[in-house]
Amino acid sequence: MEPEPPKAASGPPKVVEFLLGVLLPPASRESVLGDLHECYTSPAQYLRDAISTVPWVIASRIVRTTDPRLLLLEAFALYLAFVTSARFANGPKFLELWNAYIRLAIPVLAALFAIVVVDAYTSAEKRLFYVPAAIFGALWLQFVSTGTSSDWGLPSQSRLYGSVLGVLLVAALRALFLPGDHRTTGAG
Amino acid sequence: MRPTEQVLTAAISRLREHAYGVTIHAKAEELVDPRPLSFGSVYYALERLEEQGLISSRLADPGLERGGRRKRYYRLEALAERAPVSVHDLLHEATEELRKEAGRWSPNRPKPHPVRPK
Repeated sequence: MEPEPPKAASGPPKVVEFLLGVLLPPASRESVLGDLHECYTSPAQYLRDAISTVPWVIASRIVRTTDPRLLLLEAFALYLAFVTSARFANGPKFLELWNAYIRLAIPVLAALFAIVVVDAYTSAEKRLFYVPAAIFGALWLQFVSTGTSSDWGLPSQSRLYGSVLGVLLVAALRALFLPGDHRTTGAG
Repeated sequence: MRPTEQVLTAAISRLREHAYGVTIHAKAEELVDPRPLSFGSVYYALERLEEQGLISSRLADPGLERGGRRKRYYRLEALAERAPVSVHDLLHEATEELRKEAGRWSPNRPKPHPVRPK
């Protein structure tokens, strides 16, 4: 009888590892994936550990890379950009609508979400370029999803001027108060 | 410092040069036994401690184990070494202070001469 060939070294499922690699912020990716790999005993246990770990790692990275004061300033700048654009591009009538100020706040929230995510997933030196791109992306995604005819959309002129002015203001704030990252190894 | 952070500084202090995610988690679980401690909360607390400058980290060279992924080693900074690592240490420090204070007022101590007003 022939001896049984040695079994291939068991490890976590490659698909799950790949997905975790996408979800984890680059600054923590390698060490966290390695730690989870080291503790691997079965796919179910690996999945359980991953589910209980990944949200914490993302949250800790967001807490570390987000400067609440700067975020507040950015929120104010973006909101001001959209209110001003709506006032001058669509006249005071638009601002008299019952939900006008809420409608103007929706793109601001989308942009703030993009800012927080980009800060957590990119290194400090790349943020100056990625953040404006992410804001544009988030704003236009939000505009596409609500549309002009919707009760919650914005008129096209307000969108255009608001996003350009908002991105310029955020870029200026970033240039003045760029948040630092003390970690020795940058993301990416 | 939060309780989890105190436990982690104690774990890192005991592990010395072997302190990385898995060993820190194991040592911390041992310290808080029987309370369970999730991996996630360990990473969260480590990130906070690093942000506060109480610990620092470095990535080791890649090896064959762990799917070729590097370990992140943590070490205590001088500030954390001075910080009380547990409630027990804090109580011990407070007791010592009280003892010193009591020694200053012991009956055997010579009384200072009262200053007579001129």
